[in-house]
Amino acid sequence: MLRMTQTRTVLSIFVLFLHTTFGESGCTSADGDGTFGDDEPDNFDIDCFSQLEFKDSYSSLTCNFTELPPHNTNYTLALCTKEDSNYVCFNMEKQEDAYFLQFTDILSNKDICMDSEIKRKVCRSLVVTDIVKPEVPFDVNITYQKEANEYLIHYSTPHSWKKYLKDKLIHQIAYRQEEGTWKTIESPYLQVKLLGKNLENDASYEVKVRSQPNGDYFKGMWSEWSDSKSFRTAREQHSTESYSSMVVVIFSILGFILSVVMIVLIVTFWENRIKPAVWPNLPDHKKTLEQLCKKPKNNFDISFNPESFGYVHIHKVDGIGAKAELENFLQPSTAPETNLPEKFRSGSDLKMIPVKTDKSNLNLSVSYGGIWSAEALHKLLGTSQFAATEGNCGSSTYEVCHSNRVPLCDDGFNLSSTPPMAPSGQPGPQRLNGDTISLPTNEMRSPNNEEAYVTMSSFYKIQ
Amino acid sequence: NPAFFRSIFWVLPLLLVLSPVNASSCAMGNTTTEIRVKYENILSHDIDELVHMSAEFRDRCCKNKKQENSKVFFCNDTQEIESLQSMACNMLRFFHKQKINKDFRWKAALVSCGTLQVLQCKCERHKKEK
Repeated sequence: MLRMTQTRTVLSIFVLFLHTTFGESGCTSADGDGTFGDDEPDNFDIDCFSQLEFKDSYSSLTCNFTELPPHNTNYTLALCTKEDSNYVCFNMEKQEDAYFLQFTDILSNKDICMDSEIKRKVCRSLVVTDIVKPEVPFDVNITYQKEANEYLIHYSTPHSWKKYLKDKLIHQIAYRQEEGTWKTIESPYLQVKLLGKNLENDASYEVKVRSQPNGDYFKGMWSEWSDSKSFRTAREQHSTESYSSMVVVIFSILGFILSVVMIVLIVTFWENRIKPAVWPNLPDHKKTLEQLCKKPKNNFDISFNPESFGYVHIHKVDGIGAKAELENFLQPSTAPETNLPEKFRSGSDLKMIPVKTDKSNLNLSVSYGGIWSAEALHKLLGTSQFAATEGNCGSSTYEVCHSNRVPLCDDGFNLSSTPPMAPSGQPGPQRLNGDTISLPTNEMRSPNNEEAYVTMSSFYKIQ
Repeated sequence: NPAFFRSIFWVLPLLLVLSPVNASSCAMGNTTTEIRVKYENILSHDIDELVHMSAEFRDRCCKNKKQENSKVFFCNDTQEIESLQSMACNMLRFFHKQKINKDFRWKAALVSCGTLQVLQCKCERHKKEK
């Protein structure tokens, strides 16, 4: 009896050992928690994506099979989380061909498990923040900026007023001409600009936008495309540009021509007009004197030769008495001098003053500042008293103001030498109250050929 | 029976010896970088929301109550993780307080659980609320 009891005990223990060895219980996985993560993977092809803050504080997980399972088999997908020693799973809701679940915890590591009637439960790890699919952008607007010839594309995203993905998205803008190829631009901002010069004029374009996590912490995939928006480019982009460029070309040509003309004018008139006006020459005293001293008229006999003044009665002027005597002197008692014109000026002006032929008048003490022409002298005193050299006095255009160069008619007077003695008591050359000199009339000196040239300096000495 | 007392007497010391060591309830799983990254990208936003909600409900919660009776949660220097664990577990106790606004309780629980998750800590069994 005791042996039979012992035998049954041993057999029961052995059966229990076999049961444990063959592992007919559910917890036979390598993990020991009911999952088969470390076991050989079964055919478990599903694609999942998460949407953060899908509704209020809830996030969502959406999964679908890449290979459709047999229709006769019912599959169950569950999202499981390991908490402490527990393994908490939540079954996903089947919606058409996808499985959907809402949850709040996005921090903990989760597993997606598939369970079916014919297969054992299979799980796979899943990080919710690495499979984020943003929401679709909306409200795409295109604005044309005429001055800059640019097209501003602006759009919005629901994540702008949410907390996790705000400013953590990359937006892709796709545009194309009618039935053309798509071109893309990526930007982290909510607006981009298209340059008008890169687009066709007066053409229709189409624009759409999508978003993706930038990858700093949240990773994932592109969202769905937004609704397309069409716009038409401006028509007169090139004409405006061509007009402005033409104006610039015209103005530049005109400026170039004007500068060439100015240069030519300056070069042409530099010596004659511009330079004398800008940088006047220093005045030449010789030329200045020529300009100041006017040339005498042809019939105006001018001479510095003292001999030509031999017939001139020069008297001193003594106030009123001189005036009375002057009047007497000017009485036309003898005729010859009437032929002579009477012109009287003061100072050193050249005048033809009628003179009496009567020698007695020559004794008057009144002297005049007059100059007689050679003809008058010849008429009055005779040519014999004068030894004028006609060759020297032939020229009627006598330049008075020349010095050193012009030969003066030597009529018997030598201005450079000492004044000759007046015969019979006649006063010699006396200095008058003016610039005139009184010259003796009775005595004529013989012409001095050596002193044919009378200089201004000698004239100054006599004074 | 003297044998009975001898069999019982050695059990108590044995239980004391075999009882588990009072180890920290926080695992050393996440590094400082991981904790900071999770806090900056996720937990900080939830805390901001909770602060705004508490500012909104402050007058309701603290009405006719003295400030001295309110429990204060201290954060000890050099023991940040333990302090945060203590605060999170204490805040979880409010989950079943019916007088507190429901949305606020849910938000507080979310922040508490998120904090514990980031720190890889857990509350003592009798204080933790699921």
